[in-house]
Amino acid sequence: MTEGDPADTEMKRPRVDWRNATDADLAAGFADGDDACLEESFQRWGSLIYSIAYRALDSSSEAEDVTQQVFVGAWQARANYQESKGSLPGWLLGIARHRIADRQRARGRDLRLVRAVTSEANVQVKQEPLATLIDRLVLADEIQRLPDPRGVILRMAFWEGQSYSQIAEQLELPLGTVKSHSRRALRQLRARLEEVTSWST
Amino acid sequence: MVHLNSELLAGHALGQDDALDAEQRDHLTGCAQCRAELDEYLRVVTLSQETEAPTTPVPAMDRIWRSIQAEVSTPPSVEREQPVQTLSADSVPLRVEAEDAANIGSGEKPITDRRRKWWAVVAAAAALGLVVGAGATVIINRNRVEVAASVPLSALPGHTGHGTAELLQGRDDPELRVSVEAPLPQDRYREVWLINSDGKRMYSLGVLPPSGSGTYPLPALLGNGLEGFTIVDVSIEPYDGNPEHSRDSQVRGSLPE
Repeated sequence: MTEGDPADTEMKRPRVDWRNATDADLAAGFADGDDACLEESFQRWGSLIYSIAYRALDSSSEAEDVTQQVFVGAWQARANYQESKGSLPGWLLGIARHRIADRQRARGRDLRLVRAVTSEANVQVKQEPLATLIDRLVLADEIQRLPDPRGVILRMAFWEGQSYSQIAEQLELPLGTVKSHSRRALRQLRARLEEVTSWST
Repeated sequence: MVHLNSELLAGHALGQDDALDAEQRDHLTGCAQCRAELDEYLRVVTLSQETEAPTTPVPAMDRIWRSIQAEVSTPPSVEREQPVQTLSADSVPLRVEAEDAANIGSGEKPITDRRRKWWAVVAAAAALGLVVGAGATVIINRNRVEVAASVPLSALPGHTGHGTAELLQGRDDPELRVSVEAPLPQDRYREVWLINSDGKRMYSLGVLPPSGSGTYPLPALLGNGLEGFTIVDVSIEPYDGNPEHSRDSQVRGSLPE
């Protein structure tokens, strides 16, 4: 968000800097209708939702549409948000999942029509289940957000395939410390995955 | 033996050879609960190793944000389309609820104020021909509408009142005329639903006006018959912006298939 944006002066409520707010506080502000929370939510989860839509639909324009629809839809239905049902990113991802699934179904219909016309009944579309794709990208996103040294250790271990002793050497940390950081990071990832994919719709 | 703690299981899933001793490994072999937790960690490890965070094109994100801003800053006097996930035969109540949700979001307006605005939207929709009300009935009568079926609506446990539902067959598509005589709490409205006899699917036909009667075009999706959507249900709804059925049904009846 741009500081000193002329639009700011027209805001009735006091401008709060939401960048360091917890997800729960941001969710409360969002449900309360503070549009700065919509922007911060987009900053936090917009690219995750775009990435999921892009991989699921294999189209950048459809991914843009879906991302827009998720945030606009959530904003318009913000009175329905209930903290007891799950986290704000969980809610947004739940909406995204529905939107993407709708489009995939519509494509399935198109495909069935094509098959009916061309009798190509053997055409198989092989695609990873949407739920797995979401889990996968949520994790990748979360690994990028992990605070260091946890984050850098996990990225070196997972994405660069380095051993714990190699990581310890490079970061000049005791081996035991590297291992315990990575254990804690893994527990954090599992907890986060559960938090953002357990929205009950 | 006590179960293995998460720290140990996470270490084992990460391939840390020294995470478990011999006894703990034995326990793991025989314990479904610890095994299940380990499997969750292993799944997280596998998925994480397979996927590096994708980079999202910045121009795309800028574009998306601009279009979100453009949509949400629409002046309140303009009707917004509300994306809805539930099946709905009639978009009117849903649009109305979007409007209503926005009011609740601002949290300041008293119920009566919200209500007035809410009905103003219905009235506007009716003027546009979106709601079939009294005026439309006259037109239907000119078209010599036949009452194909008429069934009583009876109060559900905990409620009083009664009503009728009539299936109208005219020159155009079939319609349902519903009238209800029953008390309505001041801060509630009524909505008419068609519920499938499978108990799983339902359509919202629309809001029942305060007068207690309304006529609703039946969803085109139904085809020639009712396709199992035989239960006419009138619910009492709070002004909560939630398009789903409140699960508080006042009267109900069954149409012949």
